[in-house]
Amino acid sequence: MAAGLPTEGTNTQHLRAADVARKDVPTSGLTERLGEVRDRVRAAGWDSTVVVNEERVVHGLLRAAELDKDPAQLIEQAMRPGPSTFRPFVSIDDMAHFMVEHKLENVPVTTSDGRLVGLLLKQDVVSRTVEE
Amino acid sequence: MSESPIAMEKCSRCGRSIEICACCDEPSCGAAVCYACLNEALGRAKPQPHAHGG
Repeated sequence: MAAGLPTEGTNTQHLRAADVARKDVPTSGLTERLGEVRDRVRAAGWDSTVVVNEERVVHGLLRAAELDKDPAQLIEQAMRPGPSTFRPFVSIDDMAHFMVEHKLENVPVTTSDGRLVGLLLKQDVVSRTVEE
Repeated sequence: MSESPIAMEKCSRCGRSIEICACCDEPSCGAAVCYACLNEALGRAKPQPHAHGG
């Protein structure tokens, strides 16, 4: 579970962060230019991107506010470095509580060694919590 | 010469002084929580039994 792999047993019927996180979140590299990344991310219909290295280890996060910075900046200058990340096994009820309480539009879900599993969106978490 | 003081706030759960909220990374979060309490709340850590037993 900590690696975001499928699980078995009676507890699997409860949704976890890994089940709801968007795996298709656009990623970017530290040495890219913000302007190019912003165009690519928005063309794909997103307003956030996760900054990762070659092993998909999360280094930073760019939400809408960071994407609107100077397009000539390097990603490593514009990003929020070392964002809080959450593990795949956390229940979406707990995630909904924290994301609403802390006004977080999205959070990265990573394995315990920091590799990106996906980006969890508040809108997905809240809607899935209501469904359950 | 004195350094500028770091704005401190308290964890809303345990009262520990912290610089920024461990959940949202914001220095002026209204519901700031420390790493220990966040980890415990999200099941990443469990409270440990008293070291000396009964």
